[in-house]
Amino acid sequence: MSVNTAGSIAAGAHAGPSEDADEFERELWATLDTVPDPHIPVSLVEMAMVYDIDAGGGDVTVTMTFPCMGCPAYDMIKDDVRAALRTVRGVTDVNIEITWDPVWSKDMLTNNAREELRDAGISL
Amino acid sequence: MSDDGWPEPAVDYVQAIADTKILLGQRYGEWMLKGPNLEDDISGASNAQDEIGQVRQLFRVLTRQGVDDEWLESERAPDEYANAATLDTEADAWPTFIVQVALTDRAAWLLLDAIDHDDFTGMVQKMGEDEYFHLEHHDGRLETLAEDQPEAVEAALEDYFPDILAFVGPATHDAESDPLVDAGFTDRPAAEIRRALAEHYADLFAGTEVSVPPLDDGVPDPDAWDETRRRVGDGHVDADVVDQLQGVSNREYVIA
Repeated sequence: MSVNTAGSIAAGAHAGPSEDADEFERELWATLDTVPDPHIPVSLVEMAMVYDIDAGGGDVTVTMTFPCMGCPAYDMIKDDVRAALRTVRGVTDVNIEITWDPVWSKDMLTNNAREELRDAGISL
Repeated sequence: MSDDGWPEPAVDYVQAIADTKILLGQRYGEWMLKGPNLEDDISGASNAQDEIGQVRQLFRVLTRQGVDDEWLESERAPDEYANAATLDTEADAWPTFIVQVALTDRAAWLLLDAIDHDDFTGMVQKMGEDEYFHLEHHDGRLETLAEDQPEAVEAALEDYFPDILAFVGPATHDAESDPLVDAGFTDRPAAEIRRALAEHYADLFAGTEVSVPPLDDGVPDPDAWDETRRRVGDGHVDADVVDQLQGVSNREYVIA
């Protein structure tokens, strides 16, 4: 079951579990919300880099994007996502799908993420 | 993401763009400490990073079409790279380098932007965010160089123009005959892209001492044109450059 869709991401909002998501799905999102962006002090979820988590049984597919196509931490971030989700009980496999649709925009950042970035001295 | 197989010539088309971009990354990297200003060096480093990031995504979609990832990354001979011939050798001077990368980066962008396929939705737009800054920087430097070193710029244009036209494709590939347009993979034939490229530089250098080579419909000769490597002849990048692209000397550090 897909718990969100990339197309639903609107300006000022970021992807997260849908209202009817079950406990397992919410745990997957919460787990990814602990994975930090290595460049700035917010999580990948707060950065709106995670567009969708498909939790069909234990096989989890994360659809995500990157703010920068040439991100030097591209493989490291994907490794972090896999490592984090594999700690969740019930997860048997983690696949990562990279998408550029929609194209990431800083408009997707939450207000909370914006505040954290400003506090860290990063202008938006 | 589309699961459909691409039409046959599309894999070669995307391969040539990807290989051109990996060589662009190499050439930007070679010059990132040799530019005349700190801004040029920073630009070179940033552009190299952008190009390598774009190559990563183009290789990803190529592997989904059945292209072997090991071959793409590390098992190719120099003559199996389908890069634009403009990038076969390192430029020996700054004006030459700027003309080399300006023509090639713009041509690669025009070829990418012509793709009309679901697998590239968003991806090309994202690449365009990078390319906007590359092309703006190139044009700004070319305008300055056209005032300061017009002879060097004109000589480089004459040198590189035939090869960049070969990369775009022959003039005979028009709206009725371009196989990629016919297959529905692109929406702009090579003949139109050639004109757009030539007109851009004619406009850019208007009012300067730099003359842009005329758009010769006989270049490349369609009968001699290699559709796979998008060039004429069997030239290729040097083996030592391929060793660098494939990370041969650092292979022991690769994490499997």
